[in-house]
Amino acid sequence: MNRRYVVSLGVLATAIVILALALAPGAAQAPTAAKTAAPTAWTPSRTPWGDPDLQGVYRYEAAIPLERPANLADTPFLTDEEVARRDQAEQEQEAKRLAGGEGVDVGRQPLSESPIRGNEYNSFWQDHGRPRQIHNRTSLIVDPPDGKLPYTPDARKAEARSAARYGIGPYESFLDPDTGERCLTDGVTALMWQGPNGGHNRIMQSPGYVTILHEEYRDRRIIPVDGRAHGSIRQWFGDAVGRWEGSTLVVDTVNFLDKTHYEWANVWTRPSETLHLVERFTRVDADTIEYEITIEDPTTFARPWKAAIPITRLPDGTQIYEYACHEGNYAMPNLLSGARAQAQAGEEGR
Amino acid sequence: MRTMLAILLAGAGLVLTAVPVAAHHAFAAEFDARKPIKLRGTVVKMEWINPHSWIHIDVKRPDGKVERWMIEGGPPNALYRRGFTKDSLPVGTDILVEGFRAKDGSNRGNGRDLTFSNGKKLFLGSSGTGAPRDGQNSTDR
Repeated sequence: MNRRYVVSLGVLATAIVILALALAPGAAQAPTAAKTAAPTAWTPSRTPWGDPDLQGVYRYEAAIPLERPANLADTPFLTDEEVARRDQAEQEQEAKRLAGGEGVDVGRQPLSESPIRGNEYNSFWQDHGRPRQIHNRTSLIVDPPDGKLPYTPDARKAEARSAARYGIGPYESFLDPDTGERCLTDGVTALMWQGPNGGHNRIMQSPGYVTILHEEYRDRRIIPVDGRAHGSIRQWFGDAVGRWEGSTLVVDTVNFLDKTHYEWANVWTRPSETLHLVERFTRVDADTIEYEITIEDPTTFARPWKAAIPITRLPDGTQIYEYACHEGNYAMPNLLSGARAQAQAGEEGR
Repeated sequence: MRTMLAILLAGAGLVLTAVPVAAHHAFAAEFDARKPIKLRGTVVKMEWINPHSWIHIDVKRPDGKVERWMIEGGPPNALYRRGFTKDSLPVGTDILVEGFRAKDGSNRGNGRDLTFSNGKKLFLGSSGTGAPRDGQNSTDR
């Protein structure tokens, strides 16, 4: 139902854009206009103290890449036909995943090409039993218009280095694996929609506060929404203050600690002292929050960028669980000893 | 694994929709794709720990000697949501494990496929939550 809604929403949004163009001649209409039209489509209920109610357990279930793939460079939006085709394919793949399908059948690399690279675990370890939602957008990034991360040249080098060493090392010390492998965090925005366990998060509200409990890494954010100014303490997750703009929760965060010297699986997730993050949470229908992030950080990016991420409200009764990642992280000693064995084998091979 | 997702999505012409991969570390950091393993063993215990569950099995070698192996699986939170419980893989269950050995050559591996002695794969061939309703009986040898 959700996917059909998305498809019909696209049609509706297009109609709204056309209407807006007719009513406001001369107004610039970026391709993202279809997206920004959505928040007006639905009005959320209110908490007993009168705030828009965002509460629930959410998870990212859309199949939209952060950056626009090269083969869709000139295609910010898919046609209704393409959306329908991909949706059909996803339904079939989901059925095959539940039935134990592998490789191309379930949307992964062909098994003949690689037994790993997405095929290292069969479907039952990975599948969540819910098909992913096909949207008409080809990237989560809506600005810049090319759908690409606007890295500075230095940050691009750092990203290339990160990609080259991920899973390969060198792993000389526990400091060398990335922050996720170390059970620290994947980064404040990534936690809302990415995660090895599916990215389950609970949003809770009380008068003057919004709290986000992230299942992964047991991170949590307690965001005051009471008009206070930013504090001065630098933290991994920065200093967040929230406010309501209509039905949208706007969270403005500064005073991040500089963690750019840590290893990050993806460089865009790392905080620096110059990071200014603005997040906008808008319930666009009963099952969806449009989570929009605007990231401004001259240390890593040549210009601000924005992504609009649909996150899905899971059925009532969905719980999040303890994670205790450090305690069970056998991967840490295993990958360090693996690197030692690999180094030794390399030396013996000379 | 975020990188992996990007790689999969980049090949969208071939792969219509990529699947998020439930692993918190890069496979290649811990396991060796050139060392496939196939082990028949008996479940000794299952550790319900994040970020990965671990199944301990006793494997009888051809010479009769028993080796203890540790097999890495998915995160318990995800398994539980799929209907996997402590009853799903009780102590004493015979399973066939196919996966890849740890890079350091120890008796550890990832559990790509787990098959019960009756030929059913763990979780497969069932509906609803995907939880196994048969094949996990320890007397079913």
